[in-house]
Amino acid sequence: MTLHTALVKIEEEKISSEKAKKFIASEKNGAESIFVGKVRNENDGKKVIAVTYDAHDQAVIKSFQLICNNAKNKFDKNAKIFLEHAKGYAPVGEISILIAVGSGHRDEAFKICRYILEEVKHQSPIWKKEHYVDGKEEWLPGHSLRPKKEVK
Amino acid sequence: MEIQLKLYGSSKILSEKETLDIQLPNNSDIKKLRDILTKIISEKYSRSNLENLPKTAAFFSEKDEVIDDSYKLSNKEYISIIPPIGGG
Repeated sequence: MTLHTALVKIEEEKISSEKAKKFIASEKNGAESIFVGKVRNENDGKKVIAVTYDAHDQAVIKSFQLICNNAKNKFDKNAKIFLEHAKGYAPVGEISILIAVGSGHRDEAFKICRYILEEVKHQSPIWKKEHYVDGKEEWLPGHSLRPKKEVK
Repeated sequence: MEIQLKLYGSSKILSEKETLDIQLPNNSDIKKLRDILTKIISEKYSRSNLENLPKTAAFFSEKDEVIDDSYKLSNKEYISIIPPIGGG
């Protein structure tokens, strides 16, 4: 198996970089690239204590598989890819997304990692609500999936 | 007719439930749904920063595919509203 994708209910289970490293391990790898995105304690001057991630589960998994397969076709058909994203309430410091790539060469490993991250942000139906120190909360703006021909 | 709108992201402000039942004239399309959402938001949620939602949201069919403004809705149809996304 060369591809693993999942949405992780973060209140029940953690996203594990050890699990990702094990999944992509191979003697064929000349390079392993791992990106770990985390919930940070500040955004736009506001003190953040946590983020709630909402997701359209089925569409997210479909998009993850499409993105990863596109990445393999574009950069390295033999790459091993691990992609997990958090769903639910994630406090500061929690892993929100983990992308791990095992590939023959460093250039492909870096490129696949970056490609997947950017495509997830633009294709996968996931939303963030930030929770602030003062008790307020806010859904963050994002990228519209409305067909471009309709947006004037 | 009536449809069930499954809510995600910022649209969850529109109901305490996971879905919102919306009354529409027969043979309505997605464009009509956008108009009705605009009306609901301006009447009941004008202070919630949702005024752009009807314009920026996409809609998914039950098959999780994006449906465009000319898509004709059916009575009791279950569709999802997809506000602008931003994971990672």
